[in-house]
Amino acid sequence: MAPGKPTVLLLDDDSDFLDLERAIFEAAGFEVGSFCDPQAALTAVGEAAGSGRAVLIVCDLMMKTLDSGFSFARSIKAEPRLKHIPIIIVSAIASQKGFDFHPRTADDLVAMNADAFFDKPVQPQVLLSKAKELLARQQEPGT
Amino acid sequence: MSVQSPEHILVVDDELGVREGCRKILSAEGYDVVTAGDGKAGLEQFLERGPFSVLLVDLQMPRMSGLELMREVRSRDEDVVCIIITAHATIDTAVEGTRQGAYSFIPKPFTADELLLAIKNGLEKRTLTLEAKRLGAERERRLLELASERSKSNTIMSCMTDGILVINTEKLVVLRNDAAARILPECSRKEIPFPLGELQNADVQEILQLIIDSTGGPIILSREIVLGKETYMVNASPVIEPGGGTSGAVAVFSDVTALKKLETAKSMFVSMVAHEVKSPLAATEGWLNLFLSGMLAKKPEEERHMIERSLLRVRTLRAMVNELLNLTAIQTGNFTLKRTPVELGVVLKEVCAAYADRAAEKHIGVATCVDQEQRVLADREAITIVFSNLVENAIKYGRDGGHVEVGLAGAGMYATVSVRDDGIGMSPTDKEKVFEEFYRARNELTASIPGTGLGLSLVKRLTELHQGTVAVESTPGEGSAFTVSLPLLQG
Repeated sequence: MAPGKPTVLLLDDDSDFLDLERAIFEAAGFEVGSFCDPQAALTAVGEAAGSGRAVLIVCDLMMKTLDSGFSFARSIKAEPRLKHIPIIIVSAIASQKGFDFHPRTADDLVAMNADAFFDKPVQPQVLLSKAKELLARQQEPGT
Repeated sequence: MSVQSPEHILVVDDELGVREGCRKILSAEGYDVVTAGDGKAGLEQFLERGPFSVLLVDLQMPRMSGLELMREVRSRDEDVVCIIITAHATIDTAVEGTRQGAYSFIPKPFTADELLLAIKNGLEKRTLTLEAKRLGAERERRLLELASERSKSNTIMSCMTDGILVINTEKLVVLRNDAAARILPECSRKEIPFPLGELQNADVQEILQLIIDSTGGPIILSREIVLGKETYMVNASPVIEPGGGTSGAVAVFSDVTALKKLETAKSMFVSMVAHEVKSPLAATEGWLNLFLSGMLAKKPEEERHMIERSLLRVRTLRAMVNELLNLTAIQTGNFTLKRTPVELGVVLKEVCAAYADRAAEKHIGVATCVDQEQRVLADREAITIVFSNLVENAIKYGRDGGHVEVGLAGAGMYATVSVRDDGIGMSPTDKEKVFEEFYRARNELTASIPGTGLGLSLVKRLTELHQGTVAVESTPGEGSAFTVSLPLLQG
């Protein structure tokens, strides 16, 4: 069991969602870090993982480029030291230009390098319970 | 016998008695008679007083023989009926005369009835010949007309931009125009007719077969087919004969590539608008959810903050919807300008001030260069939209730490406003299309920049509503400069 408060790192280019999610997670007793730039978020994920605390990521899909949410998640899952960190993708746009990003199966989620997917806006309680569930699963031995 | 317009008859004989006898008999019957005493004189009369229907000619005459005269006359008018009058009628001269084209002989001496009968028969023969000739000529003319109609239709068909393919009931391709050969290259390599099955496109084959196999009646089958980079709408219908039977099927290929592009642009626009609308809506809903969730301690200032944040997003959303409505109004001609004298320098300073924060975020210095105030008669709100869009773009597509120059000058009858940045610039292709609705330059550099693709088309339309023009100069990697010219308010 990792000591202290669990940490949630928020990544979104929309400041409203960063502030909204910060309010939700802080009210639930999380340590919150918010970022609008994937590179800065990646550095913060590395540092948080090193601290030994439980870490969770909530990120948006389309930021500076169409692909930025996906590539951010890919970078995390490709790093052996970080790949255990749960990622929740929250996006306002689940389909564009004929591509449908909405994951329908667990395999879809794996392909997206995500552990959960929500359409914006997500109900605060739903987001929180998914975050807690993912963190609890992370604590289980053997996973 | 009386004739409407008397037939002209030339009588050539060296015997005066015969000449005058003939004249009397024929004149009494209403014929118009001219006589000559020998071949040469006969030819002179023929040339001077012709045309003649009948030539009555003696064979043996001084200076020019009857046969010679006949030859001369017939070489000039082959429809003259030649009747030989001769005392020396033998088989030999008869054969020779016939060979030369004589119609008949009258052996001397002859009675009035014999002469009149020969003339009557000759004229009848002539009438028949002329009628046959007239019919022949008419037929020839009709054929020519028909041929030229055909060549006209062929020319029209080959000039048509739509492709045309015709098959018969045996499913053989029997006709294709140049456009069809261009659209379906396999068509141009094959000798017509060739089996429908040899066409490469299955859709085209299928609809033509369906038409041929159908029980008739006017039906139209349509398919959209993609060949290379082009999209064609293929409409196939039966070729129905005047009697009602179907003799084949015709397929018309219309290039709808431009329409498809427009359709794609529109659906991309709708998808983009949906995204642009959904983000502020989702944020607003998020704040309201949080507000109602009761998760936060009920501090009045925090609740107020949440409501204010929602309101802010709703306002941006409304501004965007306004932009869309403005554009639609201009497009449908329902946009009314409220023109008043406007000082452009003042408007430009207001616009620059409104974007100061956005510029500061990207560390862009905005310099306003207004030498002298310029007044125009304009809708202040509309003109503000124009300059706001240009300044916003200059910041959006400017580089971090770059510069934006906004200038105002007078040039003859016009005031010119220039907005120049040193940002990413655009390619010549983008430059050409940048004022088109929904068009957005798409490359790595612009992928992260939000927009509806409407701003510049709104700028162009609003400027034109003011009898002004907008132009752009741009170099990729060096920046862009937009210049708006508006007619100055005189006096």
